[in-house]
Formats: sequence, structure tokens, C-alpha cells
Amino acid sequence: MSRAYRIKVKESISQDLSASDEVCSDLEILEILPGDAMAELLAEELKGRGFTEKEGKLARTNAGVTVTVDPQNGEVNVKAEKQDHVELETEVEGWGYDDVGPKESSIKKSLTESAKADLAKRAKRQQDRLQAEATEELEGTMEDVRKELNDAVNAITREALKRKAAQMGRIKEMTEDPEAGSLTIKVEV
Amino acid sequence: MSEPSTIRTVSRFESQLLRIARYIVKQLPVDQAQRLLLEKIERPPCLSADCLHLLKDTLRKGMILYLVRAGGWKRDRFLRDGVGKFGRLWERIPVERLTLSFGKPTLELLLWLTAAKVKEEKPFWRSEITRQSVGDQLFVFLTYEAMKQNDHETGASMRTSNVCMENALIRLAYAGDFASGNRLPVPSFDIWLREPGIYILEALQPFLEQRWLTVEREKSKIVDWNEMNQQGIAQGDVLNAYLEGVEKANRRDLGRFLVQVLSRIFRTNDVTPPFWVGGLQGAGPARLSERIDTHRNALSVVRQVNRLRGWQNSARTSSYMDEDYSLNQFWLSEWDRFDLNTVAERAERVLQQVEPLRMM
Repeated sequence: MSRAYRIKVKESISQDLSASDEVCSDLEILEILPGDAMAELLAEELKGRGFTEKEGKLARTNAGVTVTVDPQNGEVNVKAEKQDHVELETEVEGWGYDDVGPKESSIKKSLTESAKADLAKRAKRQQDRLQAEATEELEGTMEDVRKELNDAVNAITREALKRKAAQMGRIKEMTEDPEAGSLTIKVEV
Repeated sequence: MSEPSTIRTVSRFESQLLRIARYIVKQLPVDQAQRLLLEKIERPPCLSADCLHLLKDTLRKGMILYLVRAGGWKRDRFLRDGVGKFGRLWERIPVERLTLSFGKPTLELLLWLTAAKVKEEKPFWRSEITRQSVGDQLFVFLTYEAMKQNDHETGASMRTSNVCMENALIRLAYAGDFASGNRLPVPSFDIWLREPGIYILEALQPFLEQRWLTVEREKSKIVDWNEMNQQGIAQGDVLNAYLEGVEKANRRDLGRFLVQVLSRIFRTNDVTPPFWVGGLQGAGPARLSERIDTHRNALSVVRQVNRLRGWQNSARTSSYMDEDYSLNQFWLSEWDRFDLNTVAERAERVLQQVEPLRMM
């Protein structure tokens, strides 16, 4: 008479997960002054807003989102990154018979594969969740980043206009309305 | 008294071959050729002189009629030695320079189409495409069109062969057909940017305009994000290669079909990105970067306005003493003719709307 026996297999994984999402674009900067001068103005403006210079680019990280600007060509990269560590374990069991059916070793092998597949599926779900969080963070900051960078571009445009006007002649009068976004410069040439 | 006409006798295989040839050059309706393409028939060791005579006659008359109807009849101006020349195709260029030759590649393709069960077999190609004449490549182009018309599956099968993938005219006219996960290299347009290929491009401008306009208008029916992304990439790759070629050949007038497509799309001021991406369903890819890329690639045709703007800027700074002064003057007149200033402004506004960091 055959005897049934239970086989249990335990598997676990320990994994570091990372997810990121990013948007690349470029700033529309008018070349009122030569390119290098505009780049210098942009770099100074961004430093004033908390950006730090690294390898010729300006970068700032806030709550996992890094904004990087290349002042030379106006390229912007906004990147959200997330890391996580997961430790998952699972236990699966099956039955074997001592006189019929597959041997214990092949049952164990099949159960091990099943356990690993289950862990892989759960790890993938965690990865997807992390990715969704990174994307949500990125989407959440886009509006603020867009407004801030446009403010920065407007500021350097105004400054560039003032410097250009000063090069052309004597500035007789200058009126600025930050709310309306207007700047009027009267120059005596 | 008129001379008696010569009666030429051909075999059953040759008769089918000639009918297929007539169908391909649009001299026979599809229902008369469909059955022939589905049949398998044994290929003879060679073709008779009568068959070859009739085939030459078919190609000669069929190609001329096709090119005339496609756009050669239209009175328009194109560049000749840097200066605009007005008239129909055969008025702009001496007829003897409009010669096309057809060689073994055309014959091989016809023999395969006649003998094989077209639906079930991928066409082979014995000679490299570089040895094909412009006439041969034009014939392949018309064959592809004919197969698409005949049967969607047959067209799809032919598309996967190098016969089509390496034919720059097919890729230009049917860029979206080659959209896939693997970005295919775009073949060179060199053969089409010198005589006589360049005159075929002139004749096909109205056809190309209609093709690209139809594709742009149908983008709003695309529901799948991946399909939209791949189509946009395929279109962008082909247009970039083509426009680089026409710029290098000093034939910016051959970009006219694109200019006309953009003019017609941006005829009014109310065009917005949903014109292209309004049909996309669901939230799209998980990553924001992929969604933005899909929107950007959907506008790959509109994005060419940046290149046209570059041509405009360079033409404006050209002086009377420059070698390409008359070329630049021609482009400036095209710019005014199609009111490209207005078109470009409207197009740039749409491009900005899909940029996440631009303030509107």
C-alpha cells in the first residue's frame, strides 16, 4: 500500500529595487547677449535658486527629484528616482507517494520552481509599485519646476535686456512691472 | 491602305505574366489579376521574343501614364540648375532625359509573381538593390502598391523582404508600414536625387502630399500608444533622411509635398495635439517619459517645420554674391507662396503644447 508524504519547500529573496522616470526638454532662451553671456546669467540665476554646479551643469535635488540644467544649451532634465529593499519569502507544499508517481527530488524541484516564480511575480509587483511612485513624484513636481524655470528665464531675459540697453547708449529711464511681466527701457543713443 | 498589325503569340504563363505587369502599372483592374497572383504555375526556362516585346510595350506605356497621372501633368515650378522652371514635367525637362530602363530585377520579380503563390511566399532577390536601376525600383514600388491593394496579407508579406525594406521610395511613401519595435535603417535616397529618379520625385509630389496628409489625418484613429510611437519614429527617420538628401542635392523644392501637407493641416488656427493623439486610449505607458515621447513622436511630421524654418533663416541671410543666392531666393518665394510663416507659427505652438516644461 502506498504511503503519502508531504513535501514543503521554502524560498526567499532579498532584493534592492530601483525605479526612475525622467523628462528632458530645453529652455527657450533668446540670445539677446552672446551665448556665453546668456549661459553665465542663467548659471548665476539658478545658483541663486539653490542649484549647485557640477561638471558644467547646474543641479538641485529635492525630495528625490533632481533638476539638471545645462546653461550652455538650455537642456533640462528632471528626474525622479526611488529605491527600496524587499525581502520576500514563500512556502509551498505538495504531496508525494512512496511507490507511485514522481520521485521526491523531482517534486521538490517542481515546487522550488513554483516558489521562485511566485517570488518573482511578487517582486515584479513591488517594482511596478515603486515605478508608479517615481512617476507620480515626477508628475507632481512638473508644474512647479516648469513655473520656476520659466521665472528664471524671464529674469535673465530682463537682465540681458538691461545690459544690452546699457551697451547701446545711456539709459534714461527704466520701468519694470513684474506682475504684468513688462520692462520698458528708454535709451539715449 | 494600312499595314497589317503583327499578331504576337504567347504561352499561358507569358499571358499571365503580361496581365500581372499591366495590373502593376495600373492598366488592369485588380479583380482581373487577383486570381493570377494566387495561382502557382510552372516557370518556363525562358520567355519568348513576342512576350518580351509586349512586356516592353506595357512598361513603356504604363510607366508614362502612371507618372503623368500621379502628378507629371501638373503645371508647377521646380528647380533647374538653381533656377525655377515652370511647366508640366515634360516641359521642364527634355524628354530624352526622362528615360527609364528596366532590367533583370524587374523581369525576375515578374517571373516570381507569375509562378509563385504570392500570398504564401516571400519574394527573394538575387541581385543587390544597388544594381537595380531607377526603373526597376519604381517597378518594385508599384508592385508593393499593387500587392497592398490586392490583399493586406500579401502586402505585409512582401514588406518583410529586402525588396521593399531597401527601396527608399517605398519607405518614403509608406513609412508607417515599416514601423516596428526594431528601428529599421533608412536606405539612401541618392538614386532618387539624381537623373532620372529626381524627375520621378517631381512627378510624385501630389501623390506624396496626399499619402502623408491621409496618414496624418488618420493618426487620431490610432488607439494604441506603442503603435503611435513606432509610427512616429518610422516617419521621423524617413523624413530626416529624405530632407537631408534634398538639402544636400540643393533641391529643397522636392520637400514641397511636406510643405503642402503642413499648409493644409494648419490652414486654421485651431489645430491642437488631439488632432494626432486624440484617439489614444487608456493611461498609456507607466512612465511619464514614454508618454511624452509618444506624443512627441506623433508629431514627427510637424517637427520638420524646424528644418524648414532653418532653411528660411539661412535663405534670409544669403547675399547677392553667394553662389546659392538664386536657390535661396527660390526657397524664400516658396515660403511666401505657402504662407509658411503662419504655418510655422501654428505648428510651433502645437509642438510646445506637448513639451512639459514650456510655459504657454
